[in-house]
Amino acid sequence: MFGLIGHSTSFENARQKAMELGFDHIAEGDMDVWCSSPPQLVENFKVVSRVGKVIEGAYIDSCFVPEMLSRFKTARRKVLNAMELAQKKGLNITALGGFTSIIFENFNLLQHQNIRNTTLQWERFTTGNTHTAWVICRQLELNAPSIGIDLKKARVAIVGATGDIGSAVCRWLVERTSVGELLLVARQQQPLLDLQKELGGGKVLTLEEALPDADIIVWVASMPRTLEIDATNLRNPCLMIDGGYPKNLDSKFSGTGIHVLKGGIVQFFEDIGWNMMQLAEMDKPHREMFACFAEAMLLEFENCHTNFSWGRNNITLEKMDFIGQASLRHGFSTLNLNQELQAAAA
Amino acid sequence: MQTLDSPAVGLIDSPEASLAELPDFTSESYKDAYSRINAIVIEGEQEAHDNYIAIGTLIPDRAEELKKLAQMEMKHMRGFTACGKNLGVQADMDFAKNFFSKLHGNFQSALSEGKITTCFLIQAILIEAFAISAYHVYIRVADPFARKITEGVVKDEYLHLNYGQEWLKANLSECKEELIQANKTNLPIIRSMLDQVAEDAQVLYMDKEELMEEFMIAYQDSLTEIGLDNRDIARMALAAVI
Repeated sequence: MFGLIGHSTSFENARQKAMELGFDHIAEGDMDVWCSSPPQLVENFKVVSRVGKVIEGAYIDSCFVPEMLSRFKTARRKVLNAMELAQKKGLNITALGGFTSIIFENFNLLQHQNIRNTTLQWERFTTGNTHTAWVICRQLELNAPSIGIDLKKARVAIVGATGDIGSAVCRWLVERTSVGELLLVARQQQPLLDLQKELGGGKVLTLEEALPDADIIVWVASMPRTLEIDATNLRNPCLMIDGGYPKNLDSKFSGTGIHVLKGGIVQFFEDIGWNMMQLAEMDKPHREMFACFAEAMLLEFENCHTNFSWGRNNITLEKMDFIGQASLRHGFSTLNLNQELQAAAA
Repeated sequence: MQTLDSPAVGLIDSPEASLAELPDFTSESYKDAYSRINAIVIEGEQEAHDNYIAIGTLIPDRAEELKKLAQMEMKHMRGFTACGKNLGVQADMDFAKNFFSKLHGNFQSALSEGKITTCFLIQAILIEAFAISAYHVYIRVADPFARKITEGVVKDEYLHLNYGQEWLKANLSECKEELIQANKTNLPIIRSMLDQVAEDAQVLYMDKEELMEEFMIAYQDSLTEIGLDNRDIARMALAAVI
């Protein structure tokens, strides 16, 4: 069994969903009730891969909502309790979705291995970052040419270049593609310089410097809420891959020649009998999902019950190859620009 | 989806400081609050002892088994009494007796009517979940001696078979209706007990929010264990809110 730990995109959505599922006591509760609500295993489902392999999975809602981000203790409990539940339910490999893995990483939850009478077995969990990084790279390679960007000449800005996903994307682009130039953007200088050295290239720039210069912009850091960018300064055409969480770039950018693509999203080849992806506001909730969730499914399909993506900057090209090949074999494809247009028109 | 550089979570950086914080166990305010919390724990273990012995009179062929369980609760009671003494605190037993009086009364009337299901719901589900959840929260902020004692108690609780749970599981089809009714009456009492103790618990650095969450986890686990599904549990838990 594989597991997915997710949460609603807002308090309001969470209450509505809880009501639909019959969890009235939580749905009717105020924020305090939600802060003291335990995680819930809300759905079990079966998935059949394109090559016929059958696996079973469960969706756990951590009862976390983004409004709790400023309440450190609450957020920490939500994540750890959801992980404990996943383990208690015997799930072999569980992906930490949405803010879950961000909280895990930023709050250094590795030091909290004992939850009540359960010792968390880290090998049962994955951030899903390897698959996410691979998917973002594929999205870039597939979609840039379709809007007239020549990859060989393209300058690609990676915003959040030193993060787990960002650095993996950089490595892939340097080693496996012929992109013209990498523009490396992150908040801290030293890790950027280290990365530049490791890559043997790439230009270190500030966000303001990089944006007008880039044909392709990969966001793997959430957008600062206060950031205002004059879209007229961007290149035309410009491909923006929104790989951050939450996905909010399309509301910030619009204009001729600017193409915003939801990054790190995959589509399964057929519908899955689950309802929970509606929570994540996917266009096709029965087959679209975050690549990190898909990673848990892939690891289950492959009987690979290790925390495949764990820790920081451990994503190698070989791991990306492995997960990428599994992704294609079992029936996943990346979300592409024309599909988004079709969805919008429908 | 991860963005480990996310500035959105920048506002909650460096949480470590708040992690290791422990209260001042020697302060007057701590001792004052502890006199009531400690008494509740002692009284709770005493009630558990008495309740299991009493249930044994309703199921004579299990009386011996229940007596062993009762003895374990007595051992826990002595441990917690030592915790109060260690801090130089006199447990306020009058307060604690009053604190448990409603549940105690409901248990006694169920007992006199021979309602085993209700007795087990009160003791083996509600009081056990209330206790274990409070212990989990307390362990994180207890003084070193009390932490050791409480860890031992929690270990015991997980090791021994929860006899009441087993009985309810084996008899679920016949007892479900009574179980739901008893829950409706008694879960709100637990809720108000939590509210009543929240202020003192806060002095011991035990958050009400966390206590409630731990309780709901233990409560849900018990109900799942006896064979109820998510929907039943959700419906039963509603009684804690309204």
